[in-house]
Amino acid sequence: MSAVAVTTSSLDRALSVTEWHARSYKRTWRATITTAFLNPVFFLLSVGVLLGKLIDDDQAALGGLSYVEFVAPGLLAATAMQTGANDAMWPVMAGIKWLRTYHAVLATPVRVGELVLGTMGWAAIRVLSAAVIFTVVAAVGGAIVSPWAILAPFAALLCGLAFNAPITAFSASLEGGDDGWFPALNRFVLIPMFLFAGAFFPVSQLPDWLEPVAWVTPLWHGIELCRGLTAGSIEALPAIVHVAYLSAIVVVGTLVAVHFHRRALLK
Amino acid sequence: MSGSPLIEARGLTKRFGEFTAVDGIDFAVERGETFGFLGPNGAGKTSTMRMISAVSPVSGGTLRVLGLDPAVDGAAIKARMGVVPQQDTLDFELTVYENLLVYGRYFGLPKDVIKARAEELLDFVQLQERRESKVEPLSGGMKRRLTIARGLINEPELLLLDEPTTGLDPQARHVLWDRLYRLKQQGVTQVLTTHYMDEAEQLCDRLVVMDQAKIVAEGSPRELIERYTQREVVELRFPEGVELNGKLDDLGERVEVLANRVLISTDNGDATAHTVHERGIAAESVLVRRSTLEDVFLTLTGRTLVD
Repeated sequence: MSAVAVTTSSLDRALSVTEWHARSYKRTWRATITTAFLNPVFFLLSVGVLLGKLIDDDQAALGGLSYVEFVAPGLLAATAMQTGANDAMWPVMAGIKWLRTYHAVLATPVRVGELVLGTMGWAAIRVLSAAVIFTVVAAVGGAIVSPWAILAPFAALLCGLAFNAPITAFSASLEGGDDGWFPALNRFVLIPMFLFAGAFFPVSQLPDWLEPVAWVTPLWHGIELCRGLTAGSIEALPAIVHVAYLSAIVVVGTLVAVHFHRRALLK
Repeated sequence: MSGSPLIEARGLTKRFGEFTAVDGIDFAVERGETFGFLGPNGAGKTSTMRMISAVSPVSGGTLRVLGLDPAVDGAAIKARMGVVPQQDTLDFELTVYENLLVYGRYFGLPKDVIKARAEELLDFVQLQERRESKVEPLSGGMKRRLTIARGLINEPELLLLDEPTTGLDPQARHVLWDRLYRLKQQGVTQVLTTHYMDEAEQLCDRLVVMDQAKIVAEGSPRELIERYTQREVVELRFPEGVELNGKLDDLGERVEVLANRVLISTDNGDATAHTVHERGIAAESVLVRRSTLEDVFLTLTGRTLVD
């Protein structure tokens, strides 16, 4: 047998993990296409277009936007949140506990940080492709105002990763393998954010004491960023704050995720 | 090729909190040999294997694998090693062939190299016909063979096998043993754990017997049997509740009384069996067999390997 010199970089190894997820996804994409693509488009149609026609009298409250123009970037950010979050729950637990495929990865030169980053890399591809498709559909449906919207999928990507990274950390920290946490996370964290963090109405509509709570949620920052871009109303300083806030969550979430993966996999 | 051992452990220790899973063991594995850890479940075999495969930090002592320190050069060690874990870690979403492709990429191997090796390996583990099949419906023996093929994709110098045939039927076990023997002939150093004495006898050039986190004996299967047992064993079965009152105690070098069974170690099994008969001891069955590693373990620990 011939000897082949193996010198790989960290990036190569992380990408080999991304490639694995992409290959696996080819077999399961039908199951995820509903949540990733169809549901947001149905929402846009029912809430944005059909319900929106009843609401369009008060465009001033929506910053001069029609309702569908207002809600489309909200749904874009929410789709990114859901996609980023879903990939961080059951698949991570399967890799660590149920199918133990992450153990197989770590039997090779791939390091634990590369495993986490490569897996997040695949989540990023999923979020970004869902965001691009949704933005195109929204544009075709007349829900996009500004050419800045071309950057909106990247804003959505950042929003999706701000959920993917910390939830990945959370999933890896569940040593007992208790997936009962995931439906609870959906019901009590993600769905309330989806409903109240500014996707469907301006958060100024919330009671005064609740409004600051909305400002803390990553989804609100993601929605503000996406809406600023699709509506063309984006301003530098708020944009920098949103990007910095979401980026900080991604960085801290990733570091904590690596820590918990190490604890779970390298005992 | 250097003469230094492929794996060398001195005082190797693994602790999980208060619990000591591996308690200061010493061993060395030479290039080209098949080396075994024999012992019951919970003896510390898997913990030892995980330390060797650089996925479990050493708690004490020193460990060198391929001349390198796993704590420092884990990735370099893993690049030259193949691992067949006790529990399957195959990707059920992928086909047999894709499992090999994906795995080769973790080693940074070029696609054409992986493809060529995957073909050879599918032939070697006799799964060429199932290459496009998903993993889930494969039998236990096929899955284990695929895991072995996967562990060989980087052409490792060292292959680690943790309980390679646990849970397989006898026929699947023999197919697997045959493949592992072929690998040995090709010069691949193998380290395996098992709690089956027949597996250890079949495969291992040399082995250590582990019990309660410690190594209790070391040698080739033949040496261990000669050192710790007589040549043969007379195995008597008795119905529940029979009182022997020491009637058999003088019959062999060692007499082990187990539930429903008495094992007499002796140099001449037939003569001993004859004496048992002469004394009018009514056993349900009398079996004369050669001594095995199971008897070695019984002598060393007073317990059987498989409870």
